[in-house]
Amino acid sequence: MTEEKDKEKVNEKQKEIVIARIEAQLPSNLKLSIGSGESLTKQEMIKHVEDGDEQGKQIMNMHINFIKAISSGKLAKELSSV
Amino acid sequence: MQRGLIITCPRCDNATEYLTYYSKSIVEEAEKRSIKFKEIHNKVLDMTNFSEIVTTLDYQMIVFNGHGSKDSIFGYKDNIIIQVGKNEDIIRERIIYARACNAAVVLGVECMKNTKNGCFIGYSIPFVFFMDESWISNPHNDNVAKLFLIPSNMIPLSLIKGNPTIEAHENSKKQILKNINRVLRDKDKESFLVAEALWNNYIGQTIIGNNSAKLED
Repeated sequence: MTEEKDKEKVNEKQKEIVIARIEAQLPSNLKLSIGSGESLTKQEMIKHVEDGDEQGKQIMNMHINFIKAISSGKLAKELSSV
Repeated sequence: MQRGLIITCPRCDNATEYLTYYSKSIVEEAEKRSIKFKEIHNKVLDMTNFSEIVTTLDYQMIVFNGHGSKDSIFGYKDNIIIQVGKNEDIIRERIIYARACNAAVVLGVECMKNTKNGCFIGYSIPFVFFMDESWISNPHNDNVAKLFLIPSNMIPLSLIKGNPTIEAHENSKKQILKNINRVLRDKDKESFLVAEALWNNYIGQTIIGNNSAKLED
């Protein structure tokens, strides 16, 4: 039960970070094509992350994968290969 | 099997408009090298008529532009044109580039089971790209979308030039890394988010089947 609550807390925290970054860093003229359906505006991206739906999860995964690659050194290693 | 290219070009939303636009250079390269090609713009394309086109023309290479899922790829809107358990056999011995989300997960694996000369290059997670809304009517000038679509185009372009599938795959991935380096150096407001999306395509791009398959002479 506690473990589940902890996971939920982490998930909520991650959502907050992703939303804050989209709000701060994404110019409103950029749209994201991800998955089926129409490309997403900045506000739509935020809404999907808030709702935790399929597209929101995909946006979260994109963020988590990148952070993992930075923290593990994998990104730096790959970038230095080109 | 004939030396030739089939390319699906659905134009049902902004994303597929972009993919279709960026496919022009693929078709031009095929034309330049006297490779037969068939662009499919058909809005009513379904699994039956797609299968007919593939088996009748019997071209060695197919580029899918469109939305996808783990076991299928769509043509126009939600028309499935290839699906595991239905018609994946028709692409088993061909060279495939699927510019579509997730299709490498099940479709790529299943359609390349026991293949000899076939190869599937696609994505095991969603293929993503950013586009600049200011250039939606003129994608050629969209420098953000180019960061994603040029490395992706390198796969079919390299194959058309006669390179083996593994080389096409790896060169495209290298270009993604170069683009990540570039955007991170630029330090624009959106650099981190763009790099994140490029990294997504980098880790998701997958090759299954014969790594040394080439377009036959």
